[in-house]
Amino acid sequence: MPSITSRDDFEALVRRTGITLTPQQTDTIYQGWTMMAPQIDRVRAHGRGREAEPAHIFRPDVFGTEEV
Amino acid sequence: METPTIAQAADMLAAHEISPVELTQHCLDRIAAVDSRLNAFIAVTAERALGDARAAEARIMAGTARGKLDGIPIAHKDIYGTRGIATTAHSKLLQGWVPTEDAVTVAKLAEAGTVMLGKLATHEFAMGGPSFDLPWPPARNPWNTNHFTSGSSSGTGAAVAAGLILGGTGSDTGGSIRGPASLCGIAGIKPTYGLCSRMGIQPLSQSLDHAGPMAWTVRDCAMLLQVMAGYDPNDPASANRPVPDYTAGLGKDAKGMKIGVVRHWHETDAPVAPAVQAGINGALDIWQAQGAEIVDVVLPSLYEFQATCFIILISEAYAVHEPWMRTRFNDYGERLRSRLIMGGLMASSDYVQALRRRQELCSIVAAATKGIDILVTAGAPAEAPPIDGMPLWANMDKPGFTQPFNVLGWPAMAVCSGFGPAGLPVAIQIAAKPFQEVKLFQVADAFEQATPFRAKRPSLAAISPAIGKGLADAGIILPTSDLPGLADVVADLSATASKLKGDRPYGQEPAAVFSLAKEA
Repeated sequence: MPSITSRDDFEALVRRTGITLTPQQTDTIYQGWTMMAPQIDRVRAHGRGREAEPAHIFRPDVFGTEEV
Repeated sequence: METPTIAQAADMLAAHEISPVELTQHCLDRIAAVDSRLNAFIAVTAERALGDARAAEARIMAGTARGKLDGIPIAHKDIYGTRGIATTAHSKLLQGWVPTEDAVTVAKLAEAGTVMLGKLATHEFAMGGPSFDLPWPPARNPWNTNHFTSGSSSGTGAAVAAGLILGGTGSDTGGSIRGPASLCGIAGIKPTYGLCSRMGIQPLSQSLDHAGPMAWTVRDCAMLLQVMAGYDPNDPASANRPVPDYTAGLGKDAKGMKIGVVRHWHETDAPVAPAVQAGINGALDIWQAQGAEIVDVVLPSLYEFQATCFIILISEAYAVHEPWMRTRFNDYGERLRSRLIMGGLMASSDYVQALRRRQELCSIVAAATKGIDILVTAGAPAEAPPIDGMPLWANMDKPGFTQPFNVLGWPAMAVCSGFGPAGLPVAIQIAAKPFQEVKLFQVADAFEQATPFRAKRPSLAAISPAIGKGLADAGIILPTSDLPGLADVVADLSATASKLKGDRPYGQEPAAVFSLAKEA
């Protein structure tokens, strides 16, 4: 999905959420969504490999019991 | 009586110079006098507060006080769950919801003997204000009630600054403690991620949410954090490590500290107002004179932190709110729902890319700050803007100074560093490495003690509850600058009117009678 989203694509994304917007709400939120594009580009723009680790890790000792 | 700091009040209580009941009544009187213009409180729990105060008084008189916070009046941001007391998150969606348990930090503060005055205004679910389409109005800045408090811990910022409470709780996901602390001229700390339990607090973004205290001084924040911090096995993010004495470095200077100034953040990435720049320069001069070493530090741009923070935040927040977003979209205020929905439009790969970027940013900053104890930048870009007419997408295109430390998880605090040309406060932001709150408090306190800014409170004149209510009922919001004059006039009128009081017969005729006009 491109970071710059056409109005039609935006409306398709909104439909996928299952949320029904009025035309005015659609206009307003589309304006905000276009302001998101530079931020999305920033997190995509680094030359990290597809194996790069994210900052969040799963720790079974925190979420599970210590005994097996 | 002027509202004391927590440290001052603790000394007065210990010396029996004031009782917890008197101190609590002072706060309740002040709330009644001025809060109709501030909207800092969503609910005042006067009976609970006086009950807490009487219990504290009995302990103090019996010599069994629970510590320095016993008998200290505070209040909680209304996303903190309070057993038996409605917790609304300032939202129609939780209106009337009464938790059956206290948040862990609420319980800890109660166990320490604090007096709970009530629940404080927030941006809806801690995001997106100021909003005028919610069941309660937004909090207003006590330095000028026509101006914004910042958020989302807006009620805590306003209530502390106006002396309605001695301290309170806030939460910080992208700057929600340090923003209102900056614009309201108080102190507020976002501790290290995982230091304070988040259990029982309404979540916004679990990997960025922090709980922390706000108060008039750095010392007061240290005293509150002492009680709030600590391991909670029910919070998966909680850090299992000893809690040090956060007051250990207070009263010392900054000698020996290596302080890094991230000049490009506030001079190039997002240039600040001259008053903010002057505050930063002033702080650096003070610390250098005390013996600190000042060095420039270059870190990734503020825009990198903004993008990473916002994409993580909005993705996690949408997951929290998705069921209600689908079924009760229009019960949210416009500002929150318009932001939240973006999390539903985001690709999962972009969320993971933001998590990867977070890891990279943590590594880059760790490498760039080797040997450095403290980082310094702005708390907010300028004085508080007017609260009316804030654009719906305000700040979407401008990075904040607070977001980097949510991404990094480092402790950071905002401290008042002076006043701008409009007479409103400005602030510096001071950060330390993870779990180095003792150093952070030491350096912040060294600055605060060397400056005169804690001597000045907002000139929010106390007018009677009746006058305050009359103004509020009439929809009249006067500039703070007009209120001392109004209070003086009301006081003069009251004094004059009191001279006319006397016992007069029920049927006594007044001097004036209704008279039909004489016929020509």
